[in-house]
Amino acid sequence: MKERIVIAFVGNPNVGKTALINAISGAQLKVGNWPGVTVEKKEAFFTHRGVEFRLVDLPGIYSLSPYTLEERISQEFLLEERPDAVVNVLDSTNLERNLYLTTQLADLEIPTVVVLNMWDEFQSKGYQLDLKMLERVLGVPCVPTAATKGKGVDEVLDAVLEVVEKSRVPRKVRFKRIIEEELSKIEKRLKEAGCPYPIRWSAVKLLEGDGFFSEKLFSKIKLDVSFVEEAVERIEAHYGDDVETVLAEQRYGYINGLLKEVFKRPIQHKMELTDIIDKVLLNRVLGLPVFFVMVYLMFKVTFDGSAPFIDWMDGFINGFLGKWISYLLYQAHLPGWLRSLVVGGIFQGVGLVLSFIPLMLILYIFMALLEESGYMARAAFLMDRVMHAVGLHGKSFIPLVIGFGCNVPAILATRTLENERDRKLTALLVPFMSCGARLPIYALFTGIFFVRHRAEVVFLMYLLGMLVSLIVGLVLRRTVFSGEAPPFIMELPPYRLPTLKMIWNSAWFRTKAFIRKAGTIITLAMVILWLFLNIPFGAPVEKSLLGRFSRGISFVFVPAGFGHDWRTVAALIPGTAAKEIVVGALGQLYGGASSSYSSEEINPGSFREDLKEQVVSFFGAFKEAFRNIFMSWKSSVFSGEEEELGEVAKSIAHSFTPLQAFCYMVFCLLWMPCISTLGIIYQEFGWSMVGMSLAITTIVPWVVSSLIYNVGRLLGY
Amino acid sequence: MRLSELELGKEAVVVHIGGNGFLKRRLREMGLVKGEKLKVEHIAPLGDPIEVVIKGTRISLRKSEADLVEVEQL
Repeated sequence: MKERIVIAFVGNPNVGKTALINAISGAQLKVGNWPGVTVEKKEAFFTHRGVEFRLVDLPGIYSLSPYTLEERISQEFLLEERPDAVVNVLDSTNLERNLYLTTQLADLEIPTVVVLNMWDEFQSKGYQLDLKMLERVLGVPCVPTAATKGKGVDEVLDAVLEVVEKSRVPRKVRFKRIIEEELSKIEKRLKEAGCPYPIRWSAVKLLEGDGFFSEKLFSKIKLDVSFVEEAVERIEAHYGDDVETVLAEQRYGYINGLLKEVFKRPIQHKMELTDIIDKVLLNRVLGLPVFFVMVYLMFKVTFDGSAPFIDWMDGFINGFLGKWISYLLYQAHLPGWLRSLVVGGIFQGVGLVLSFIPLMLILYIFMALLEESGYMARAAFLMDRVMHAVGLHGKSFIPLVIGFGCNVPAILATRTLENERDRKLTALLVPFMSCGARLPIYALFTGIFFVRHRAEVVFLMYLLGMLVSLIVGLVLRRTVFSGEAPPFIMELPPYRLPTLKMIWNSAWFRTKAFIRKAGTIITLAMVILWLFLNIPFGAPVEKSLLGRFSRGISFVFVPAGFGHDWRTVAALIPGTAAKEIVVGALGQLYGGASSSYSSEEINPGSFREDLKEQVVSFFGAFKEAFRNIFMSWKSSVFSGEEEELGEVAKSIAHSFTPLQAFCYMVFCLLWMPCISTLGIIYQEFGWSMVGMSLAITTIVPWVVSSLIYNVGRLLGY
Repeated sequence: MRLSELELGKEAVVVHIGGNGFLKRRLREMGLVKGEKLKVEHIAPLGDPIEVVIKGTRISLRKSEADLVEVEQL
């Protein structure tokens, strides 16, 4: 027996592959991406009876055709890496469609175990199946499981060991004679040419005209394909339809015949729970209101529920850890600049990443809940008419709404979109959703310039963000993302109660991935930002790298309405760490107050008292989260904090006209997403998308503010 | 008639799938093949997309996609 066995898990979407792998491996899943694409790759490693296993969760697919990314990834893996065994997971309550993929897998000649998952549901529906007969026809073991309950899991492993040992491969579908004759001719030619892939598979794929596969095949062997084209013509002439359709119909015919032999469903068809729930949730009158209430609750719980924990984390890191580390560094007689770099640069970066954890966890729990329960597909169904009108998919709605709270989890929420094109497009539009961190900027300027119309002006900002995203979306679809829009056709899975473990696993794995990958890049960016602000160390702002740079480029912003004062430009740069920092930076630049790490004596007080205070305030955060969620209907995201500005406000009032202030707000709304958002875009999509996002969010805000400024001036403001 | 014209709650049999490439294949993979019985189960509140039950599965598709499916009402 081999020392290491690679098992590929293949199946339709929503059949419980991940749950099965979790149950088998004891939740050792590692989450990543398939190389070069944004499709999630899940793997688990573990040992059973002295044998090392590598379990690979291939993306959910309906067939092994080459049309979607998921299908290409699966085909590529099965052909090139030749796993030792395939575990083909089926939803046993929907055998007919699930077996379609099984008939295609058979052509690959890999030892296979067929898993009949959701067997508990199958039985409760009163269905019956002749397992022995099914095994005989398919030629491989069929194991009933209920993965979420951990039932039948050991049997799967035993069956895998058995099929690997005995090289038991599934029996292939026989097509009608006319097709089989053509296939055997192709098979003969392929054998002669030394085809490196399974012969039957290759012949079927050539006949079907699978371009992805034939390109791969012809890079390895030389073959004149004209005889295949002739075969295709003969078959199409005979059936009057294209080969793909003919083959698919015959596969379905085979499955129908098989199921007639082995499968029985009760004659009495009772109304299913899913149908009853959908009577309300997809109701023509109630459907949308119920959906909006759910979205609002999700938004509220995610942001209001995590806010106290974020505040606590912030206090813990900056007020507690930061203070004590700073004190230790001081005691160690390190120079001021080094202390500042450690505390103000590295430590700030790590703190920023950590402060996202409560938010991430809660959002991920919601996303997992929506996905696993089956409601996400319904949400897409309800909203698709609206989203499709602006060129997006129904599922884009939720990430965009999350964006009003915070762009970072919104980018992560785009995971719910299966199609790469839709996903990227949505992610590029998310930064135009005005997040909570931009509110303090609006609060500052409306408080100074638009005292009588504060609410209206702030509301206008939100609208403007949406309008811009709409236009940018349209432009992107005509240029970068041109080409045929992906189809909407999807399954509405039956409602299922997700298990706590499933949801926790999913949320925790993804949060860990965020800390590891995005965390590194965010911390690095924070250090760079520190350098920018603090070189040369101890110099006043106008002499620092930041000051010199801002003075140098401020002329660029003259058309946009605020290039006349370098300080407005300078405030934007620390704002890349988090947009609300723009307010503090303006305060410093216009007020002259400076906070620096000078060599003054630090008196930290008592460590024990401090620690006790942290613990107390941690528990206080629970209470506050509870109060935030349940005691008020309004979300705190939309109530910006007021800051005492006094002198600063006067100084700002002198430096801007109302129109200039408005343009500055617009610029802050639309320009470059914060470092954390860029970090998450990098994690999910890689550098090229970061570049694209940066380009869009640099050009667009400049154009829009310039437009508003100049039109405003023409109108006499 | 076309699937997109089938009214809510009505049943029909698939006669022919038009379109090409990806769309056609996706419809087929979802179980829309010649001779199969289906039913329009829901229509979204805004009129599009629709939900069709076929082979015991609920499939949602846009009206533009349902346009490609030729059906015969029962």
